[in-house]
Amino acid sequence: MSTGKKIWKFISSMRFAIALLVVLAIACSVGSLVTQGQTYAWYAQRYSERTAALIVALHLDDAFHSWWFLVINAFLCVNLLLCNVLRLPQLVRRSQAEADPQRALQVEGTVSAEGIADPAPAFARLRMPKPVSTATTDGKPALFSSKNRIGLWGAWVCHLGILLLILGFGLGQMTQHQYTVYGVPGQSRPIGDTELVLNIDDFRIGLREDDTVEQYTADITVYNVSGSGESSRSATISVNHPATLYSMKFYQNSTGWAAKAKVTENGEPLQEEIVCAGEHFAIQDKPDLVVALSAFYPDYVMVPGVGPSTATGQLNNPAYLYTVYYQGEFLGMNALMEGEELTIDEYTVTFSDPQSYTLIQIKEDHFTWLALVGGLVTMLGLFLAFYLQPTKVWAIQAEGGTWTVFGQNRKGGALFREQFAKATQDPTGRSASDASD
Amino acid sequence: MLQIENTLFTIVMLLYFAAMILYFTFIAVKRDGIARIAVILQAAGFALHTVALICRGIGAGRLPLTNQYEFATCFAWGLCLVSLIFVLKFRFPVLGVFAAPVIFLIIGYAAMQSKEVHELMPALRSNWLGFHVSTAIIAYGAFGVSFVLSIIFLLRDRMREKGFLDQHIPNREKLDVISYRSVSLGLLFLTFTIITGAIWAERAWGSYWSWDPKETWSLVTWIIYAIYLHLRIRRGWEGRAAAIFAVVGFICVMFTYIGVNTFLPGVHSYA
Ligand code: HEM
Repeated sequence: MSTGKKIWKFISSMRFAIALLVVLAIACSVGSLVTQGQTYAWYAQRYSERTAALIVALHLDDAFHSWWFLVINAFLCVNLLLCNVLRLPQLVRRSQAEADPQRALQVEGTVSAEGIADPAPAFARLRMPKPVSTATTDGKPALFSSKNRIGLWGAWVCHLGILLLILGFGLGQMTQHQYTVYGVPGQSRPIGDTELVLNIDDFRIGLREDDTVEQYTADITVYNVSGSGESSRSATISVNHPATLYSMKFYQNSTGWAAKAKVTENGEPLQEEIVCAGEHFAIQDKPDLVVALSAFYPDYVMVPGVGPSTATGQLNNPAYLYTVYYQGEFLGMNALMEGEELTIDEYTVTFSDPQSYTLIQIKEDHFTWLALVGGLVTMLGLFLAFYLQPTKVWAIQAEGGTWTVFGQNRKGGALFREQFAKATQDPTGRSASDASD
Repeated sequence: MLQIENTLFTIVMLLYFAAMILYFTFIAVKRDGIARIAVILQAAGFALHTVALICRGIGAGRLPLTNQYEFATCFAWGLCLVSLIFVLKFRFPVLGVFAAPVIFLIIGYAAMQSKEVHELMPALRSNWLGFHVSTAIIAYGAFGVSFVLSIIFLLRDRMREKGFLDQHIPNREKLDVISYRSVSLGLLFLTFTIITGAIWAERAWGSYWSWDPKETWSLVTWIIYAIYLHLRIRRGWEGRAAAIFAVVGFICVMFTYIGVNTFLPGVHSYA
């Protein structure tokens, strides 16, 4: 065999499949054991400089999107595809042969029993469909029954499903768009680089009697502001109940605190902003001066050894932790209580009206359906392979009038042999001779 | 209701313990009658266990499938169910001998968890959660049985003496087929678990697969059992190598279940 042919054969072999699966399992476990998505400095501190260098060089910091992970999966797809394509003709032939009594009558079967007076009960006990009457080529009367022929296709269907699943997932990863938008009711925000604008109409937090959160619900309207004229669509979304608008899916993802920041300059109102905790804004007249609402505590307490914290989720004693930067340099950080002012030169900043903002996740993935189909096809294949085992039972009448019953079930092995032996036992108690292999 | 559950849980633990001791006695004194009583005790424990879970469901006002305690007790229940089915279907009490300590360990682990009933955070309030976790229980139960069967398989190879155990343990070939049956049950349900989990994650978080450690480890488990299936098909390999993979597979199951929550936090860590 030429080298090319050998390689081809190896790539389509089950041995290669097993090797790939082993490598894939190892790759996945490594990817889950190394914390993903951190920086070199983080790994260097956690492990050592050398390990960190290795992690970054091998892309272990983003293992599931690395080139080598892609390569393993690509090989798996090629392997699966070849295996399925090459096996197709053989499978078609086999499933035709399964249904053909004449083929069966010429072989011995994996199990057989001689001297059966009436074979009908054996067929029934093996839960075979009603046998058809036929005859051997040399004219002996025969009975034939087969079931679960579709089960032959189990592995093939399963492999196809996995192929579709990987394809759907991969295409989705390559083409999907994800955006996050957050804000308080009344705010409008553009959705990434699309021509859509999201308006948050309302946001509610449903509480149970014991103050635990039952549901977060947002009413949203999406405006399409593309050149061809405006349109809009509205929906209500809550956790576990996303909505699809303009072929994008909108998810109520999480929440946090926001507050109104008022800036005055020498006592004159200058600007008003809604800032979410974690956000910052620049002073209008002095863009180099930036104020961040670093954190918000609805029920502020100072815990010794821990620092600022919140006692409950209720708005009992709100406090605003701010940070000020000038030309990118840190100037200061402190907590302001409700009504307190922060003064920087001629500017005064106050925070008020704390309220919950909603964080909405937006996703566009046109291949989710393919992955889902792949998953369902895989399930179907597994079911066919495991629970519909192709079985044939046939009987040939011998000269003396008694019958020899044969059976074949590739997967049942020892269990099928036992069942068969039991089913072909003479009801009078005499055991028929078991001529199994 | 929760009080009743608590009491029943204790009784169930005692019954499982008694069944385990009887199974061991059966091996020690080599009398079939004792195995029969052990199976009956296990079945009685299983029945009360079912009642206990129903009580908890009523008491909590939802499916009892949402925290580490609930999942552990359900895991023991699933393993007990699948092992009983296999013991009875294949007339194989020695399987019970090996399964009983595993069941007892898992229910013991459950007993160490907090039994408090918490209200569910919004993301967990989904019908998919019910499908996701109940299929996981069957899958884990079936993998537990295949683990036990593979241990028996591997031990059987080392047993020289012909005698009592030899008569009560099916031959290699039959053990292999029974183990295959339990792995296939497990793999079918694990696939179902992963798919329903993905559908649920897609609805709750907007991403059906995000390589969260628990997801990743369930995939590793799934791959290990896929390897098992292929090793079994290859002639000459079947048996030993496959049995070793079934053991490794169950270690992965346990790691996915306990280890990931402990060592690798992710979305699933609220469990
Ligand atoms: C993720 C990857 C794979 C999974 C989950 C998978 C799953 C399965 C399953 C469930 C079966 C049926 C086993 C049984 O009935 O006992 C099977 C059989 C088989 N697989 Fe795969 N498989 C995978 C990859 C591959 C690949 C890449 C090949 C390529 C050569 C392959 C070759 C085979 C063969 C030849 C059979 C035997 C078919 C038969 O008995 O009719 N598998 N596989």
